[in-house]
Amino acid sequence: MPSTRPSEAERSLPALGLINTGLWLFCLAVVLVPLGTVALYGVASGRLGELAQPAVGTAAWNSLSSATLSGVLAVLLALALVLAIEHTQLPGRTALRILALSPLLIPPFIGAISWIGLFGPSGMVNSVAEELFGGPVWTIYGGDGVVLLLALHSYPIAYLLLTAALARIPAELEEAARASGAGSRRALVHITLPLLRPALVSSFILVTVSNLADFGIPALVGGPQRYETLATIAYRFVRSGTVENPVELAACVGVVLLIIVALGMLLIRRFSRASYSLEPSSSRPAPLTLKRPWALGGITWAAVLGITALPLSALLIQALLPAPGVELSWENLSLDNFRSVLESPWASEGAQLSVTLALGAALITGVAGLAIGTVMTRTSLPGRGLLRSVSLLPLAVPGLIGAVGWLLLAPHLGLYNSPWLILWAYVMSFLALVVQAIEAPLRSTSAALEEAARVSGASALRAFSDVSVRLALPAAAAGALLVLLTAVRELTISALLLAPNAQTLGVAIFNLQQAGSYGSAAALSVLVTVAGLLGMGLVTRRLHTR
Amino acid sequence: MTQTVRRRAALGTTVLAGLLLSACGTGDDRSEATTITLYTSEPQEKIDELLADFAEVEPDIEVEVFRAGTGDLTARLETDLNAGDPGADVFLAADAPTFEGFKEDGLLMELEPEELDAVPEQWQDPEGQYVGTRIIPTVIAHNTAEYDAAPASWQDLTDPEYDGEITLPDPAVSGAAAFNAAVWYLQDDLGEDWFDELGANAPVIAESNGPVGQAVADGSQPVGIVVDFMMRDLRDAGSPVEVSYPEEGVPYIYQPIGIFQATEEAEAAQAFVDYVISQRGQEYAVEQNYLPVRDDAGSPEGAPALDEITFMEEDLSEITEVQGEALDAFDSTIGG
Repeated sequence: MPSTRPSEAERSLPALGLINTGLWLFCLAVVLVPLGTVALYGVASGRLGELAQPAVGTAAWNSLSSATLSGVLAVLLALALVLAIEHTQLPGRTALRILALSPLLIPPFIGAISWIGLFGPSGMVNSVAEELFGGPVWTIYGGDGVVLLLALHSYPIAYLLLTAALARIPAELEEAARASGAGSRRALVHITLPLLRPALVSSFILVTVSNLADFGIPALVGGPQRYETLATIAYRFVRSGTVENPVELAACVGVVLLIIVALGMLLIRRFSRASYSLEPSSSRPAPLTLKRPWALGGITWAAVLGITALPLSALLIQALLPAPGVELSWENLSLDNFRSVLESPWASEGAQLSVTLALGAALITGVAGLAIGTVMTRTSLPGRGLLRSVSLLPLAVPGLIGAVGWLLLAPHLGLYNSPWLILWAYVMSFLALVVQAIEAPLRSTSAALEEAARVSGASALRAFSDVSVRLALPAAAAGALLVLLTAVRELTISALLLAPNAQTLGVAIFNLQQAGSYGSAAALSVLVTVAGLLGMGLVTRRLHTR
Repeated sequence: MTQTVRRRAALGTTVLAGLLLSACGTGDDRSEATTITLYTSEPQEKIDELLADFAEVEPDIEVEVFRAGTGDLTARLETDLNAGDPGADVFLAADAPTFEGFKEDGLLMELEPEELDAVPEQWQDPEGQYVGTRIIPTVIAHNTAEYDAAPASWQDLTDPEYDGEITLPDPAVSGAAAFNAAVWYLQDDLGEDWFDELGANAPVIAESNGPVGQAVADGSQPVGIVVDFMMRDLRDAGSPVEVSYPEEGVPYIYQPIGIFQATEEAEAAQAFVDYVISQRGQEYAVEQNYLPVRDDAGSPEGAPALDEITFMEEDLSEITEVQGEALDAFDSTIGG
């Protein structure tokens, strides 16, 4: 159990109790009912037994191991990048930050195809290696490729969370360490890293759980080597054409995933404990002073470019060529794909719908997540730990399965074929991004401030809202930004829930790709990425100059 | 976009207003027209063009499209049925076995035989509940920058020359690819031995036809086993690709169309089915690079006429019977 000290008088508070009840009702409506519906659909079909086959066992292990390993990798990568970019005074930090966050915006299946183009058996890199050394360097297909690509696509989540946490570490601490004779490195290892620990744990949970549900990467990169995860096996049942009522089986797979996450959460709660608490400070963290800024700068630039620029340029080249395989030369490059995408009604309507839905989802999850996160960490109300676990569950469920729950409910809610349906499905799936983002910074803040407010005569509710909620705002904003960027290119949920004659951006890109219009699919991805990065550049700058 | 109501929700307005506006996106302003809903796996652009042509023939019928991959369509339909009726009037996707399943569940209504006679018997349901709309064979495509000549036969693909060069869609996740696997499996001169020899060339199993086409076109896997129309589309767009119809014959599906029993707009649905298999509708399919189901509609540019192609004909019940076996054989050889 977390051992945050609740502020004194809150237990007897009717107002907080009301808030708590409201949050539970919200989670019941948005998370438990739709997830319960799909779980019940699976269990009631009586077909859970059909999952007792070796393939499912292997897939469960693959899911668990690939999600955990990619979670560790993503967090380590994000930590290294955050320290290098946000904690120093490297040249070109804004550009680095924007580049480093770009994988968030590229739909995983599009990113996977770019990487396959580079590291496929006859991809660009391996073809060169074949000629030079007579064999490929490394082939992307298989479990190792899945882990690597999952990590490369999910580390920006950890990056944003760690950045928000780092911004809260008061400069006084590192300064004190240095004044007592510690070097930069010691200050980093003994002061900064321990203080980042809650954020590291939060981002690890978040990345791991969301990678459990990813479908595009394991399908494209694992499939050729017959490396299956629970997400791809669920889709295999649905697409095979030979399974009777395949959605029932897919729902059973969803039940298995929910059990895995529930067990994982129990484990984590046993072993995670609140470590330090900080007195909030208005001073900015002190950047590290570097002995050799150019060395670190060079390494960081090379790493970020290697991770992001290669697939981005592959995507851009694809968008600028009229068709794949056309020779790359100046006269062959054209903006036709961009033109046709911009003129296509699907793209503009899809953009409208996606941006509207993503903004709506970011707003709702931002507010609800803020409330859940603060109640969870700043009060001792009953059931608060459960609330966190409940909000995390849907993130682990592949979009197809989560969407089925909403689709089953839709006619009863009068929401069949309505955009509201997609909005609530997004809220369900992405609520955890905000809850987890808030948890770390709040957990490492002591209750002293609230007590001070109480002593100065504020009511408990007032102290709670003025102090705790305000402290959590920047982190909530970072979480809502994550929701916005994830939802704006979301594919698997909307693919099932869309009304006829409507498309979201993710679905539009996927449809183009499936139809063989690779150039247009790439052009639309590039447009989404660039627009998103520009938006993000503005927002993250705001986050820093609080 | 003719069918949708253009909504101009200025993004600058509040999110709430935007949501309210998009919430009244479809079907709120009924005109005199009859509206039917179509579930299809046709590529978006192709179905849009086809419906634009249909609108000229039947201006009073509006067709709303839910387009998705076959798997998502199956999932949506199953969920629809669980909650009540199918959310569509007309279904245009997948293959005959899928429609046989619908028929067994009593979901389909009988089609009126106005244009049915023009479609050969083997490409429609003997009980008249569904009919083929376009012939989609799986062929061999190659990248012309990498290879001068196409592999002439399925057998040729086992030549060591193609070691590491081949890619094909995964029969484990694609109904159509599984159907093909069963057909190859049933051929006397191919069968499991051929799987075995092909497996020795270490083909890359791609997730679906889309990635296969891309890999062939960009040269990363210059030989592909893939649906023919997609490669013709790529060729027309400028990719260095060509398709060849192997001499042993080609496995194919005829992408049926059917009307759900539960429809309230049987007449309009019927009119749409009639159009799709009419000479005009079929000529339009040919323009979209598909092989037609009638012999009076011509053939796509660079494709042989229907009667010049050898089709691998297998009994549907037999295909269903060996499908599991074929997939296991595929997995232990090519997928191993």
